[in-house]
Amino acid sequence: MTPLPALSLPAKILGLVIGLILTGIGAGFGFATGASVQIVILAAIATLALFFWGWSYVLGQFTAPTLQSDTPSPLHRAWVAYRWPLLGLALILLAFIILSLTVPGFFNIWNVISLLILLAILVLTRTLGRQFQQNRSAFIGIMVLAGLFSVGSMNIEGFSSGANIKSMLLFAAFLGIASIGQTLVALLGGLDLSIPFIIGAANVGLLYLISLGVPPWLASIIVLAIGAALGTINGFLSYRLQGQALIVTLGTGFAISGGVQIITSIGSAYGGNVFGTVPPWLSNLSAMNGSTFGLPFPPVIAIWAIIAVILIVGMRITVYGRFLYALGVNRTSASRVMISEMRYWVLMYAASGFFAAMTGSLLLGWSGGGFIGVGDQYLFLTLAAVVVGGTSLLGGAGGYGFTVIGVLVLQVLSSFLVGIGLDFEWQQFIFGLLILPMVALYARSPHIRTQI
Amino acid sequence: MTALPMAKVQAEQQGGRSNPYLLMPITLFFALLAFAVLRSPNLMTSAGIGAAIIVATPLILATYALMASAISGRGTVDLSIGPLIGFVNVTLIQLQAAGVLENPIVVFLYAMAAGALYQFIFALIVIYVRVQPIIVSLSGYLALSGINLVILPRPGGMAPAFMAEWGYGTSIFSPILVILLIASAAWLLFTTTAFYTHLRLMGSDERAAYTSGVPITTVRIGAHLISGCFAGLAAICFTALISSGDPSQGTTYTLIAVTALVLGGASLAGGRGGVFGSALGAVNLYLITFCLSTFNFGAVQSFVTNLAYGTILVVSLLLTLLIPVIQRYIRNFSPLLYFVALSVVVLGIILHATFDYAALGEAGQFLPGPLQMQAALVGPLEIAVASAETEALRRAAGPLVLGAVLLIVIAVFLRLALGQSDRGTIAPAVVVVVAMIVLAGAWGLREGIAIPDIEATQ
Repeated sequence: MTPLPALSLPAKILGLVIGLILTGIGAGFGFATGASVQIVILAAIATLALFFWGWSYVLGQFTAPTLQSDTPSPLHRAWVAYRWPLLGLALILLAFIILSLTVPGFFNIWNVISLLILLAILVLTRTLGRQFQQNRSAFIGIMVLAGLFSVGSMNIEGFSSGANIKSMLLFAAFLGIASIGQTLVALLGGLDLSIPFIIGAANVGLLYLISLGVPPWLASIIVLAIGAALGTINGFLSYRLQGQALIVTLGTGFAISGGVQIITSIGSAYGGNVFGTVPPWLSNLSAMNGSTFGLPFPPVIAIWAIIAVILIVGMRITVYGRFLYALGVNRTSASRVMISEMRYWVLMYAASGFFAAMTGSLLLGWSGGGFIGVGDQYLFLTLAAVVVGGTSLLGGAGGYGFTVIGVLVLQVLSSFLVGIGLDFEWQQFIFGLLILPMVALYARSPHIRTQI
Repeated sequence: MTALPMAKVQAEQQGGRSNPYLLMPITLFFALLAFAVLRSPNLMTSAGIGAAIIVATPLILATYALMASAISGRGTVDLSIGPLIGFVNVTLIQLQAAGVLENPIVVFLYAMAAGALYQFIFALIVIYVRVQPIIVSLSGYLALSGINLVILPRPGGMAPAFMAEWGYGTSIFSPILVILLIASAAWLLFTTTAFYTHLRLMGSDERAAYTSGVPITTVRIGAHLISGCFAGLAAICFTALISSGDPSQGTTYTLIAVTALVLGGASLAGGRGGVFGSALGAVNLYLITFCLSTFNFGAVQSFVTNLAYGTILVVSLLLTLLIPVIQRYIRNFSPLLYFVALSVVVLGIILHATFDYAALGEAGQFLPGPLQMQAALVGPLEIAVASAETEALRRAAGPLVLGAVLLIVIAVFLRLALGQSDRGTIAPAVVVVVAMIVLAGAWGLREGIAIPDIEATQ
């Protein structure tokens, strides 16, 4: 990044005048709506500063750079090198001061410590993170996780209690199993949007089969097999349309969800609602008070952990895992060493369908009732977990271990937000705003001029 | 577009801007239209078309918004388009309730500026932070759908007063149609500029564009600004449609708009797309819903709609794989010619459905009702009896049909002649054909063919 050229004096004055007018409008509006004076003043200052910064930044892109004859001073060089972290620090400090001034009771010892932890994480990421070229995203993810967890356990009553950790792990297990398929597919450069629909379909379908009188163990196997079969179909359909895999899987997802609901509502007076009794072993698998061989945690967490270990180790040491990465990085060279692209593509989609069906079945044990929309939130959450973890959507980089970190970060963040009393809509808003900077820390693509 | 086979290059030269990917949306459009008209002839009344326009326009404009940014490449599928429309919608309702936005001009300016501002930030993040666009849009999707619920917790509120009558859809010529036409025309005008060429070049191959001196930063920002303006217009039409605010439309609208974009033959990888295809894609989705709503599936109606959506989407995507095969035989496919040819056929079906069923009275009409599979399968296909009016109508339509067939034949002939000849001009042929038409017209006038008034035969 070269430093931005300075604007000419008239441009600066013009920007200042426009900014002042904007600020005046804002302040007038603030007084008119009867906001308190501090807020108006703070907002006015923020408006002016933001506008003027944006003005000089945007205009600076268009002006020709002026030649600098003298070498910059050491202070200036330090500023250029550490500009972004310093700005980030200043921004966090500013936000903290503003919050302390506006929200009564915000300025207490715990929040000050939280602030210090946040700042420490930021500094550590910038300094230590440079050492990790390969697994930078995992490092940053773990740092964020540790920071969030410590901040949460200090501020929220019972955040680090056994029950809360158990419930966080339980929900993380559902999201984690659902994201397996998305990760595998993303490693090949594809996307699978049919996951939420298969989850919902498996959820309703399993209960429907049970209510028909099929033995529950057989019903589960049938549902898992159908899930894998649907995934295979997805794979075959999208193989020739890899650029459009997003849409193909969305289409099959719509069709699956519609089809299953039609099947389950034939001969039923309830129009898509299925009633039945969930067998005790299935509820035990994923209920909060379930037990694994006498140990007091639901078996789904253990299942998730086992699958995760197998996947992480398997992708690292087996030839299949290496072939998967090879295909993701470069199709042409992979086909030169006799790796069948079609086989892997279809297999990964089949795995995706299988694990989606598994999530749906496990969610049935958790909720105890069939609901087609149970997977809706996983539509973008699986994608977010993959992205936050650091698996590239272009394929070839990342792995399931990264996704596990991403899932945990999302889960801890969401229970933290619930803990400080935010509603669902605010949670979603903050989720959205936080994904971008987290991804921007490690998943920035190089500039076009370096790709030629 | 670097390694085009020679035959395709030739086809490009001869066929000009022919776009074979429009084949699928056009075919689907006419198939659905014919089916819809046969099922329910009152689609083709003033009120029917008016309602169709009102319902389909927000979706069409949302698809335009997606298209404008999708052309710019890098896999820009703006998943946040639904929440963005919702955002403009709810802020519009709340500002209007606060008494700020009253003037129609201000409303339009606000909507387009809000959309454009969001897309501007989007573009800046994509360009300078250099994160993949789909991640930015995912982030925007979550953030905007959260903030929408904060601004307006549940559906409600009142649309601005001047929009009150827009949503009735009782006649074809509603303000919504004007917005749609102006937006389409604006894009078509835009396609004639050099900026559009740059945009397509950048979408097809960004490195090539960069090395040939296209200002890719400016072009990308421009594409997103256009997309934002379309999104603002879509939000206005959406507000007029539901006459209130609805914060939870996000997911549905995003998914449907992306579907429409792909059904319309645009490429998600960038570089290909246009208003004609996008509008057809969106209208196709409307027609699918319409066709299915003429059947009565009872409680499973919405499930059947989902099933049909998904199946049609996948099948039409798979059919696009046949396009290279088709292109081998028909090297210069003209979407316009194909459109005209099919529209003549469907016009015939529309006339048939409109007049013949009316002549049959209540018994012959397909009324929307429970689908009786037994009757539909074993019953006679048509139970029309040719009455005197029908005979008169047939005689009246004779010359029209003949003329239409003649026009198609001439057009096909010209197209082939132009395609096969080495010369680039068809001026002599055009002169001959125009002279023939003029002579035929003169002969017809002299003979005094009186075309009976179709309405009078009713």
